[in-house]
Amino acid sequence: MRANVYLPKLTKVISVKEEVGGVRSIKTFRTQFLDGGFTHKCGQCAMLSIFGKGESMISISSSPLVKDYLQFSILKMGRVTSAIHDLEVGSIIGIRGPYGNAFPIESWKGKNILFAGGGIGLAPIWSVLQTTLLLKKDYGDLTLIYGARTSPDIVFKEELADLKSKMTVHLSIDVAEPEWKEFVGFVAQNILDKKPSPVNTIAITCGPPIMIKTCIKALSEIGFKDDQIYTTVENKMKCGIGKCGRCNIGRHYVCKDGPVYSWAELRQLPQEY
Amino acid sequence: MVKHEDVRAEAKKLLESGKVKYIIAYELGADGWKANPVFIKKPEDVDKIIWGPTCFHNLVRFVVDEKRRKVQQKNPDTRPVGVMVKGCDSRAIVILLQEKFIERKDVHIIGVSCEKTGVIDERKLANKLKGRKAKNVEFGPDENFVVTTEEGTVDLPASEIMADRCLECIAHVPVITDVLFGEKTKRTVPHPFGSVEKIETLSSEDRWKFWSEQLEKCVRCYACRSVCPMCYCDECVADTITFAVSPDTTAEEKAQKIKWLDKSPVISENIFYHMVRAIHLAGRCIDCGECERACPVNIPLRMLNKKLEKEAKLLFGYDVGFDPEKPALISCFRDEDPEDFIR
Amino acid sequence: MDKILAKKDFPRWLEALGAYDVYAPQLIDDVWNYELAADPKAVSLDYPQTAIPAKKIVFPQREFFFEFREADTDDYKLKELLPEGKPTVIFGVRACEGKAVTLTDLVFGGEIADDYYWKRRNAAVLVGLACASPPSTNCFCLSVNGSPHSKEGLDVLMTDLGDQYYVEILTDKGKKLVSEGGAIFHEAKPPDKKAAEKIHADSEKKLARELKNIKDVPAKLKGMFASPFWDDESMSCIRCGICTYLCPTCHCFDINDEVESQTPLAGRRVRTWDTCQFPDFTMHSSGHNPRPDKAARLRQRINHKFQYFVEVWQNYQCTGCGRCITLCPVGIDIIKVVEKVRDHAS
Repeated sequence: MRANVYLPKLTKVISVKEEVGGVRSIKTFRTQFLDGGFTHKCGQCAMLSIFGKGESMISISSSPLVKDYLQFSILKMGRVTSAIHDLEVGSIIGIRGPYGNAFPIESWKGKNILFAGGGIGLAPIWSVLQTTLLLKKDYGDLTLIYGARTSPDIVFKEELADLKSKMTVHLSIDVAEPEWKEFVGFVAQNILDKKPSPVNTIAITCGPPIMIKTCIKALSEIGFKDDQIYTTVENKMKCGIGKCGRCNIGRHYVCKDGPVYSWAELRQLPQEY
Repeated sequence: MVKHEDVRAEAKKLLESGKVKYIIAYELGADGWKANPVFIKKPEDVDKIIWGPTCFHNLVRFVVDEKRRKVQQKNPDTRPVGVMVKGCDSRAIVILLQEKFIERKDVHIIGVSCEKTGVIDERKLANKLKGRKAKNVEFGPDENFVVTTEEGTVDLPASEIMADRCLECIAHVPVITDVLFGEKTKRTVPHPFGSVEKIETLSSEDRWKFWSEQLEKCVRCYACRSVCPMCYCDECVADTITFAVSPDTTAEEKAQKIKWLDKSPVISENIFYHMVRAIHLAGRCIDCGECERACPVNIPLRMLNKKLEKEAKLLFGYDVGFDPEKPALISCFRDEDPEDFIR
Repeated sequence: MDKILAKKDFPRWLEALGAYDVYAPQLIDDVWNYELAADPKAVSLDYPQTAIPAKKIVFPQREFFFEFREADTDDYKLKELLPEGKPTVIFGVRACEGKAVTLTDLVFGGEIADDYYWKRRNAAVLVGLACASPPSTNCFCLSVNGSPHSKEGLDVLMTDLGDQYYVEILTDKGKKLVSEGGAIFHEAKPPDKKAAEKIHADSEKKLARELKNIKDVPAKLKGMFASPFWDDESMSCIRCGICTYLCPTCHCFDINDEVESQTPLAGRRVRTWDTCQFPDFTMHSSGHNPRPDKAARLRQRINHKFQYFVEVWQNYQCTGCGRCITLCPVGIDIIKVVEKVRDHAS
């Protein structure tokens, strides 16, 4: 019998790591289901339940090839995410999912992949990045252009240092800092600076809404076609299954028909997100 | 008698001279007999303006919208908006002025006197007509209304179909205007708090039973709050997240906001919402009756507010919404204010 | 197959339905609403239109999802709180409400079905009442692919023939419900059928309002997304929830945790109606709001009903009951708005 779709599965937090401290804190959590669980595809999300506070839809940033845990990176923003930040190793939460559509990574085999992320936006595309790294022989060149406002705001700092030996990584921060040797400016500007080739390449971009808009513009400028650019959108969500009516963009529900969209698809929808 | 042509002429003058941005007035709705709010922006549209017994709306509500709009704009047009007001509505403007929510120069007040009668109550009229459909409602020559249905016209005494609040009205001529239409008739109201006194005769238990039954019906559509000109708070007790959030509001601040009300329309939350709203309107509610009219399940909401208006009068000698220079009720005191609750 | 039920026998049918929760329209404080019928003899089907439509019985304004309780430290027990699914019958359902339920069925069904909705829906028997004359001055069901005697979504359709009801059994659930009444039902005869058919045909001529030629409205709306049209139309909107809460087809909801005890932490996850017309409906935690103003929200309501829902389900998300028009405190008229869209210069 199919389980009640609104009932979360009890899950244990097995690790908590602070990526970014301070007021705009970001923490990475790894979770393990107490009983059963689900497998996911790159780009899908899950509803995390903090009983007594509510639910929050978060992208699953671990690769589907990793079976031991699910990984989520969460920016502390409001009531539920503040409660998530108070979790410790061993805390029990609820998780239901996986929700949404996936990045069509099967159809990208043989292509180069360009990841363009800003701030917390690296988390939703991290699952694709990790998967393509693990299946490196199936894909072409992998490039990451990632930036944050300041160097402390960079997420996955250790993982990025490690990544440099495995793929091309260009980092940036918005405003110059004394120790910073790499690009200074916005991610979109870094894209124009590094001019990655659009030939046989798919670009995936994610970050704050303004960054997504400027990056799509920059990518188009250097020759990427609308169907070569992918992004993942967010909206306020409650049910996660396309029934409560909250997250719609036109006729689509972001939780069900999204959150992954090519720019060719997204620009057809009303620009209301 | 208030003539449409006179009001229209004034409106036209104001728009042609550019003195006002637009005029908030009444027009005839799609059904052909009830009024609706309308925003007249062009002089050629003034012929839409009407005045009649179905002009029950408190148009000052839209003066609040205009203020909200101005706050969002970088270079707002600072000309006033014209607004048609009845006596009760004009008292709402007084409250907004007392609270410094708007300035006097923000409104050009087009007052309309209710003369001998006020506005009708749609439900009372429907009950009287017993299935016949109203096609037109006009003020009669005396204290009556002339109602036309598909069967002909019928004279109905005002006392039978007038809105409850009009039966207790203490300001049938606007108290603050830039221009006034209609005569400054004198009307005496024998029982300005009659409806409240009737409930006060019930025992404590019966009163609790009455209000529990009524507030059980509430579906928390918030029409009562939405239609009230004085419910202009950006951050309302009833809404946990309709509060002023800026990019600088920290997660802690959001996380620590107290959730006063659950969204569930159950009796505990409903009573809390309505009682808090009534208390927040103490000394501010001017009994335009819109909350009660807007309520889709017919809860006698204005009585909650009227009770507090009575308290303001009896305990503190305070007349709500007459003098814009006077301070708000809860921001002033007199030495002789009662102290028997201090033990 | 069709039956006749004398009006004087109608209470006897209700008395035979002891195993059901029986809902019927009742007048309380001048407002009609579907309520549990305590006294079969007091139930009358002679009524205009309820304020709250029949959707409230299959999709109540508040229902529980599950209970959560902190057991030991960092261990929780969850208890699913599915509705009982007690057999329920609703009398007096208008055609527009029956059709509306078929639309909410589409939303709550599909690949991922909503168990709470379906528990109630499957247990509910909808007994329709054909509209001999329009229950509201704002009815326009014919304009949105409906009719005053439509059978969509209904299990039984009753037509008032004066001193008796013409009873058409439409589904197995309806058959069972009628059989509970036993011998009080008689076989309908050809003249009865003709009388019912005449009432149905005549009812179509009596609708006061129409929304004509709206075939191209979905495409028109697509082109009007950025138009200042919505600013003008929404100027008098006071952003309450009446139009959507009282709409038979609207289905938006909120999910919240209601805490009953802090230590140990215990409470319930609760679903309540919500509306796209409230300013904070789409507001993100960050404060970013995709629909920050009334114009955007009115545009969403009209677009959802006359464009998006059509694109997904090939049906208008409106059954022409007119409640939003009748009960809007400022008289915003969906017929007028859609007509203006239809006639808007491209």
